[in-house]
Amino acid sequence: MELSTFILENKWILELFYMFIISSICIIIFSKTDKFFKLSLHTGIRYFRNAFLFYGFAFIFRYLFGVFSDLSFNYSDILKFTFEYFFIMAGFFLLYSLIWKKFESAKKEYSSLFNRRIFLFSIFAVVLAMLDVIWATYYFMFISQILIFFFGIIISYSNYRKNGKKHKFLNFYLIAMLLGFSAWILNFLAESVFSWRHMVLTDIGLINVMFFMLFLYGVIKITKNGS
Amino acid sequence: MAAKKRERLDVIRDILNTIRENRQIKPTRLLYASNLSPQMFKEYITELVSKKFIVLNVDGKEKKFFSLTKKGQDFLVEYKVIESFIENFGL
Repeated sequence: MELSTFILENKWILELFYMFIISSICIIIFSKTDKFFKLSLHTGIRYFRNAFLFYGFAFIFRYLFGVFSDLSFNYSDILKFTFEYFFIMAGFFLLYSLIWKKFESAKKEYSSLFNRRIFLFSIFAVVLAMLDVIWATYYFMFISQILIFFFGIIISYSNYRKNGKKHKFLNFYLIAMLLGFSAWILNFLAESVFSWRHMVLTDIGLINVMFFMLFLYGVIKITKNGS
Repeated sequence: MAAKKRERLDVIRDILNTIRENRQIKPTRLLYASNLSPQMFKEYITELVSKKFIVLNVDGKEKKFFSLTKKGQDFLVEYKVIESFIENFGL
């Protein structure tokens, strides 16, 4: 049996497996970093932790949206809106965890989910997800994430240049950002050029798994060794 | 050359280390050792007490001492890992 036929015939089992792997990675990263955050109350850790919580939800709702839209469920647009909202917010949180020092002091005076900046991000995420639902497209989410990861690459490259020799994971962080950027570019091309060809979607899935695996590797390695 | 400003986590580590080294320490001595302004010192101490990293004990002569809790000791152990995490992820 050809690989593409196998993928098509087992689409929802593979999707379930894919969702399960990525959501599990996100839960592990969230729980490890949540422990660090509760001990240190460090703002960067807090936003990093939030990013993976939101990615976890995003992949769960993405799976539900896929299943229910296949069944022509009337309310699948609500699921589409929800999964896009979580993806866009996760991207914002990940980028903001790298640049928060430029905008906030280290003092903790408000919640990481209900503060002015995050409220602003939320409004952006709601508007972008709504536009995608209204126009039956994904372009607004894709373009927002391409931009977020583009800036993520610039920042992580600068971090790598400054401290890459001393802190080895900065190298992997840059690679993870490049992978994330490639995945969103491919997503954009999958909709605009490749008409959601299954092999392109498989490649995106593999890149996404590598992206999350890299972060998991970093979190576990540093938690274990502290180096 | 100006000395590098201590990050919030470094200040917390320094306060906790001072208490650990002394086992018990008077508030005034801790203020001097922390090298902070009284206002900043008060803010940090309030935070550390609310997070249950340190406790304020009063002895029979009504003298006040700070001492480290189990959570505070755990923080000092985890501090290096947290610091490494922050630096390695550019947070």
